[in-house]
Amino acid sequence: MLMTIGFSHFLVLAALLFAIGTAGVLLRKNVLIIMMSIELMLNAANLTILTFARMHGDLGGHSFAMVVIAVAAAEVAVGLAIVVAIFRGRRHVDVDKMNILKH
Amino acid sequence: MEASNNAINFLWVVPALPLIGALINLTLGRRLSRQSVHFVAVASIAASFFTAVWLVVGPLRQAYAAFKKGDLGAVFELKETLYTWIEVGNFKVDLAFRLDPLSSVMILIVTFCSMLIHLYSTGYMEHEKRYGAYFGYLNLFTGAMLILVLGANMPVMFIGWEGVGLCSYLLIGFWFENEAFATAGRKAFVVNRIGDFAFLLGMFLLYWATQGIDGGNSLDFTSLRNVGESTPEVYEQVWWGRERLAAAACVCLFIGAAGKSAQIPLYVWLPDAMAGPTPVSALIHAATMVTAGVYMVARTSFIFAHSTTAMAVVATVGALTALVAAFMAFAQNDLKKVLAYSTVSQLGFMFVGVGTGNWTGAIFHLGTHAFFKAGLFLGAGSVMHGMDGSGDVRIMGGLKKYLPWTRVCFLIYCLAIAGFPLTSGFFSKDSILAGAWAANHDGWPAFYGKLLWAMLLVAATGTAFYMWRLYFLVFEGPYRGAAQVAHPHESPWTMVGPLVVLAALAVVAGFIGVPHVMPHHHYMTFLPEWLGHSVKPVFQGEHGMQVLPHLSKATEWILMGAATAAGLIGIGLAAALYRKGPSEQVARWTADGSGKALLRASHDKLWVDELYEAVLVKPFRFLARGLFEVVDRFMIDTVLVNGLGFAMTTFSRISRWIQNGQVQRYMVGIVIGTVAIFLWTSRADHPSFTWRAVPAGVEFTASPGHGVRKDAQVRWDFDGDGRPDDGATGSVVIKRRGEVASRVTLFIADPVWGKKGPDGKPREWTKVTRKVELPAEVPSAVPAPNAAAGGTP
Amino acid sequence: MSARRVTLLSSRFVVVLVVGLTLGLGLGGLGLGGAVGVPSAAAQAAPVAIKPPPRSATPAGKQVSDRDVVTRRDAAGRPAAAGKPATSKGMAIAFWLFAAITVAGSLFVITRKNLIAAVMGMVGTFFGLAALYMMLYAHFLAVVQMLVYAGAIMVLFVFVIMILNKPEDEPYATTGRAGKAVAGLGMAYLIYRLAAVLVSVDTTVTAPQLAAPATTAQGYDWGSTAAVGWNLFNDYLFPFEAVSILLLVAVVGSIAVARPLKDDDGEVLAADGAAPGGGA
Repeated sequence: MLMTIGFSHFLVLAALLFAIGTAGVLLRKNVLIIMMSIELMLNAANLTILTFARMHGDLGGHSFAMVVIAVAAAEVAVGLAIVVAIFRGRRHVDVDKMNILKH
Repeated sequence: MEASNNAINFLWVVPALPLIGALINLTLGRRLSRQSVHFVAVASIAASFFTAVWLVVGPLRQAYAAFKKGDLGAVFELKETLYTWIEVGNFKVDLAFRLDPLSSVMILIVTFCSMLIHLYSTGYMEHEKRYGAYFGYLNLFTGAMLILVLGANMPVMFIGWEGVGLCSYLLIGFWFENEAFATAGRKAFVVNRIGDFAFLLGMFLLYWATQGIDGGNSLDFTSLRNVGESTPEVYEQVWWGRERLAAAACVCLFIGAAGKSAQIPLYVWLPDAMAGPTPVSALIHAATMVTAGVYMVARTSFIFAHSTTAMAVVATVGALTALVAAFMAFAQNDLKKVLAYSTVSQLGFMFVGVGTGNWTGAIFHLGTHAFFKAGLFLGAGSVMHGMDGSGDVRIMGGLKKYLPWTRVCFLIYCLAIAGFPLTSGFFSKDSILAGAWAANHDGWPAFYGKLLWAMLLVAATGTAFYMWRLYFLVFEGPYRGAAQVAHPHESPWTMVGPLVVLAALAVVAGFIGVPHVMPHHHYMTFLPEWLGHSVKPVFQGEHGMQVLPHLSKATEWILMGAATAAGLIGIGLAAALYRKGPSEQVARWTADGSGKALLRASHDKLWVDELYEAVLVKPFRFLARGLFEVVDRFMIDTVLVNGLGFAMTTFSRISRWIQNGQVQRYMVGIVIGTVAIFLWTSRADHPSFTWRAVPAGVEFTASPGHGVRKDAQVRWDFDGDGRPDDGATGSVVIKRRGEVASRVTLFIADPVWGKKGPDGKPREWTKVTRKVELPAEVPSAVPAPNAAAGGTP
Repeated sequence: MSARRVTLLSSRFVVVLVVGLTLGLGLGGLGLGGAVGVPSAAAQAAPVAIKPPPRSATPAGKQVSDRDVVTRRDAAGRPAAAGKPATSKGMAIAFWLFAAITVAGSLFVITRKNLIAAVMGMVGTFFGLAALYMMLYAHFLAVVQMLVYAGAIMVLFVFVIMILNKPEDEPYATTGRAGKAVAGLGMAYLIYRLAAVLVSVDTTVTAPQLAAPATTAQGYDWGSTAAVGWNLFNDYLFPFEAVSILLLVAVVGSIAVARPLKDDDGEVLAADGAAPGGGA
């Protein structure tokens, strides 16, 4: 178990990473941290994809991971732009106070 | 004289004209001038009357021509089908009208009285604000009444039946600003509803009886009559207990008639109905609508003829009503109240007529009564008009000075209703009395007809007494109302004119039905013969009624004399006591003791209203109160309305908690949703196994369930010792009968999850034990070498 | 911004820089070596530079001089001999190390109050992940991971943090604790389930799986830039083009969102960037 590393180790690690990312999204109230946590979750997914690609010897997983990275980059770009825009108007990036949709 | 059936003639015009008038007056009445309103109203009724005359005269002349030759020929019957109204399955109701002698007489009476009363109303109601509405209602009433009379089947008749009830309600409560008047209208409506309900039941019963029979299914009067003729057992069949269907249906119909025609026990609405304008009382509550019950019984006489029991009920109720209402009329001090009880009493006479099978006599009395009672009401209206609206006889007296025309007419009416010889009431009342005397139907005691006759005779005496008491109190003696009304005045010609016409009719109308024994011209007996044609029952069977026998001349003369004597005694009694105003003699008699009680009983109408209040209204109120508290307050208000509101608030509170606009709350939702998907997809699917019969034996199949690897080690225990058998491995095993114990256990050792046991083999991770009952077709363990082999594909 | 906060920031910054960059970079390199060396003999721990992918289209025989080749492309790309324990202590150590870095970095992200510290933890995570990618023979992806994530995205984050420059009073969102507790329980269950399934997929790694994958049909090393590129531009061309359009939209969108608001006369309604009085 300890010294025999199999694919499941990678997969469990990915699961753990994903869980940590989720916890970050749930618990933090700074938008930037939340976005970073989302990045963590995306990376966990990427790790899983690459592990399965290795398992099945299929390079398609790599292409998929590429797409994920590109999408993540786009998401961060737009997300950060939104954060800046929000900050400009509200002077904070606290999700607890961003509940204007409620009203 | 069978007229063309199913042809469109002009019969429909008769009810249509008043309805058009009603439409105009009810919709445009506010905008039209008063002249236009009453022109429309009176003209429509007059047109209707002349159409009716035109329709009736032709057949009448034909029949008369035939009658002169000694034979009336075929029954005159004109049926006019406008269109099919209801068609459900084999049930088919047409909107159809029917003109025969019975309905001919009725439409003539209705349109004629209605025309006169419309004319009278133009004077009586001239200061009324809601002029258009009043005439609209009157027209609507006339139209509905004509539909009732002309309806060729029971549903169409029921339209009119309900229509007149509605108009009666509207007109009784016409001055609804007065709480008591509105209440009177409601009372009339509710009491009528009871009767209508019974009428409906009777109608349903007749449909039930005749459905599927050739000629049935339509509730058409002709069809119902033909069914009774061709297959009398339909009405004779035992329906409930030992009662015959005809009796049940007829009693139901009669309760309907009692509601509309104010018979015991449903008469209570009619005296209160005097709250309406007096012409309304004359038209609806004296001349036409209240006779609808009598008409209906006469119309369905062919069914009543099947049940002498029902006829006995009708006759008895009629006689009792005649007596009781006459008694109640003695001590009333309101002009219209006296007339109201008089109406109830006279309707009782008519019901005795129909109940004894004397249909012609009943309709005859209906017609004469329509004239003199309408006249009485109009006369009373004229008096009240002259007295500034007051109807209290205690402040009247000596009015013959002030209202000479009214007084003369009133005198004639009173003579007629008292049965003074040669007035119309004399002939018609005598006809009913003679019919009662002669009645001896199957199942009736021999004396019963005589008993009815005696009751009617007493009632007739009472009639003469209270009517003449009224006359003397109003018109004779000194004037007592100087304090209230200084100068009573005669009414305008629009009011006096109808009075005169009706008075003339009240005298001469009787000559159309002169008894055989009196000297008469042949046209005098033509009309009853013609009328009798359409109400003559076609069936005289074992349980049916017998046609009334002709009495001997002597008997008829004696009966006539008795009736006349009764009327004269009543008149004489009234004259003796009240000729000079209120009687001191009577006051002494009723000062104390039984006289006082008697007076109170009459004055308080035998406390019937109070009885109904205690027996029916109070419990009903209590029930309604309880239902209000339980159903309305609790079920609807609390549970449904507030409960719904509460559910909504709760739901919105929950959704507000979820939809709080915060990203993280939504994230929580995502996580919970994901978990839910996992829980659902991995819901309990425990390892188990199944078995089924195969040719080689019984096949056991293991299903490892979720969470167990496909290559899990599967072992079986078939001998029931709780340990895996040697050699029994694999997910599919075939066994034979005898090799399988009652309990079979499946062991699953998963290489991943199963921990290693002491022997180095994986420990059984999970096991499933099931009670096994082998299917019957499983072969037993014959000595086959490979029988026990487990098949492991 | 208080002085205490500055010291905290600076001290954390140093810590993170040390942990994130040095460990990440150094051990990332180790990971590369580990990945390459996994199938080889036991004591293969030293970092080995990434070999250039074979240019040749012929799979076998070209690179016999290399010691790895024997195992990797034994018998014309067939897997290595079955049954042998195809693991190494070096790989195990490398895995645990990088896994620890990854997890620690990610925990750093979600616990730090200081945003820069969080970013540095993130960088550490990315480096650890890149190393793990290496171990999975995803060389190209590992490099892309470092370039895009650690290089670009994190820099973007840092820039935004600098722009905002707003200290946090209370880092943890305190609203909706009950829901979050439920979600936490749910996550725990999810990890349990996931682990159960993942573990049950494979524990005893069979040799064919751990053996170095064969070269692709085109003769490229598995996971190399050429191989991924061939795959991407042949099998996944359409997604690739779609992503390019997505990136274009993202560029336009972020500019549109983040540019200063101006009214019709061109007057700036809300200024970009630093808040008035914002420090640092």
